[in-house]
Amino acid sequence: MIELKNVSKVYELGGEKIYALNRVNLTIADGDFLAITGPSGSGKSTLANIIGGLDTPDSGDVTVDDQSLAEAHDRALSHYRNKMVGFVFQNFNLQPNYTALENVMVPLTFAKMDLADRKKRATECLKIVGLGDRMKHRPGELSGGQRQRVCIARALANNPKMIIADEPTGNLDTKKSAEIVSILKDLNRKLGVTIIVITHDPRVAGEAKKKLTITDGKIR
Amino acid sequence: MRFLDYIRSAFKNLSRQKSRTFLTVSAITVGSLSVILMVSLLTGIRTSLMDLLISMDAFSLVTVTPDPDALEGGGGGLITSGNGGPLSSDAKKLDDAALATLRALPNVVDATPIGSGIWMEAMRLENETKKMWPSLIAYEPETKVFQMPIQTGRKLTSLDMDKIVVGSRFLKTYGYTDHPQDILGKKVVFIMKMGGSAPDWGELPEKPPTNADKEWWDAQNDKERLITAEIIGVAENSAFDDNQNYINIAWAQRLMTQVRWEWDDSARKACEEQSQRERRPVDCASQNTLTLMKDDQYTKNGYGSIILKADNPDNLKTISAAVAAKGYGVSTAEDMVEEMNKVFLGIGTVLGIIGGIALFVAAIGIINTMVMATYERIREIGVMRACGATRATIRHLFTFEAAMLGFWGGVFGLLLSILIGKIGTKIVDRYATDIPIPIDQIAQFPWWLVTGVLAFTTLIGVLSGLYPAVRAARLNPVDALRYE
Repeated sequence: MIELKNVSKVYELGGEKIYALNRVNLTIADGDFLAITGPSGSGKSTLANIIGGLDTPDSGDVTVDDQSLAEAHDRALSHYRNKMVGFVFQNFNLQPNYTALENVMVPLTFAKMDLADRKKRATECLKIVGLGDRMKHRPGELSGGQRQRVCIARALANNPKMIIADEPTGNLDTKKSAEIVSILKDLNRKLGVTIIVITHDPRVAGEAKKKLTITDGKIR
Repeated sequence: MRFLDYIRSAFKNLSRQKSRTFLTVSAITVGSLSVILMVSLLTGIRTSLMDLLISMDAFSLVTVTPDPDALEGGGGGLITSGNGGPLSSDAKKLDDAALATLRALPNVVDATPIGSGIWMEAMRLENETKKMWPSLIAYEPETKVFQMPIQTGRKLTSLDMDKIVVGSRFLKTYGYTDHPQDILGKKVVFIMKMGGSAPDWGELPEKPPTNADKEWWDAQNDKERLITAEIIGVAENSAFDDNQNYINIAWAQRLMTQVRWEWDDSARKACEEQSQRERRPVDCASQNTLTLMKDDQYTKNGYGSIILKADNPDNLKTISAAVAAKGYGVSTAEDMVEEMNKVFLGIGTVLGIIGGIALFVAAIGIINTMVMATYERIREIGVMRACGATRATIRHLFTFEAAMLGFWGGVFGLLLSILIGKIGTKIVDRYATDIPIPIDQIAQFPWWLVTGVLAFTTLIGVLSGLYPAVRAARLNPVDALRYE
């Protein structure tokens, strides 16, 4: 279970304080499929980053399975990101000089897994997203949809508790978007992975079990 | 991340920018090359000098010189020349009495006088026209001081007069290197020009006529006196002293004795006095007689030096102190080594500074390359952080890359310098057989140099990578992921 209590994040812009998040309280149950929507600059990405342990709140607390993230240091946070969270990005963020397999192996390397085990696990993950036949391809040799699937496989590598996808379909056409959403739904249903999707696309949001909207740092 | 993963990742990332990596590595290569070549050259020369001293058993020898001040500040060789020259007022004569005293010192096993610099224009093999620069060392052959190894023929004895043991340079000069035994029995000719006088060996000088004028004396000056010595052996000496030839000191003493005719006017004066007394004019000029004068340099001025052999190398200091207390100059191989080390330290410092500057510039190259790499890979750093990399992991990744640049620079520097050493040896071997440097050891690559260089260049890489790595590790992952 993921719990946010009174979480605030403030940016200063030209001497003016801007609340990216303003006293947000939120509970996400295990196995949820949550869509977060809202206008640009509303604080959705900040929320996702704080849940994912990439960013820390200025005040308030985030607990994941009763463990607090707010006070955690770099080592603990990195470990948390490595084991508990998988990130899916709008622009995929794949290593251009790595093959699909090597890209999926990146989080496994940080988990200090053996090379043979890494290959085995990465192969499994690529098969799950339907890229068993593209393992030796580099990102440049893959289509947008395929790249995003590699990205999902990478997010899946360490069997995370949750996958946080920030605009996963932002760079894809409708057909490819539907494919990605169905993969995420499958992961949620079959593996019980908690999915948090940030999206502008009402069709993507419509597939989620729950939906919430953020404006000016507050949940509506 | 594991150690091997860091290396794999560093390798992969460096091969992404091959030309940039190549250029950065070559800067380190040039820097390390200069350092390696200088160190290996110095070690090579130093090792062969040490080998020479050890082969001469020099570490149990003490050289005694007449002048206690002359050797201060260095410059004294193991076998010093210098005889007949003006000695300073502090100098003590190294004559036979001194030899006996020195030989009787505690811990001294034996002693030999050394005479060198015998008056000579040149020397050559009989029936050959090619002349050689004279280089003769005279010593007492039947002492235990030198273990003069002989490659062919026999050693000198104290009875040998006109006999010589030649150095291996002699064989080379006259083409006997492949069949040294054939030179035995041949004669060496010493060419001397002594004006009106002669050595106490061979023909006496010509008696000057009563009407000897300048022309006659000039003719005497140009007169070559030829002394022959039979070759009885060839010394097995190292490349440093292969031009040295050896004779018995007893013969040297004869050669160093100047013989000349001098007018004796005592009879004439007696005649003149008598004629005055008796008031009877007599032609006394014909009463002038010529007397043969002998001037023994070694008796008059002493030997050039005396070499003592210690019973044990550990006693060199004790002996040196005892000799110095008697007012003589003293030098040992250790002094020589100390001098040598001082010179090498000087050369090494200068070359070290040059190499250091080259490596410093190369280090800046690494910093530049790594800073560029961190800029190019900001997004990538963000992704790695999102995937669970700690700040330390990121820091290590970049440090390993920089270390690898340094390491490969060291590797190529070593390979290149070994290659240059080989080529240099070949060239020197072919064109400069006459220079007194042991060629087979011109550049040496002992294990400590190889590992030291690799460790040093890798360390330079690590240090240069520190700043870019810390910068990369400090990046905020959210900003890094958002970076365009």
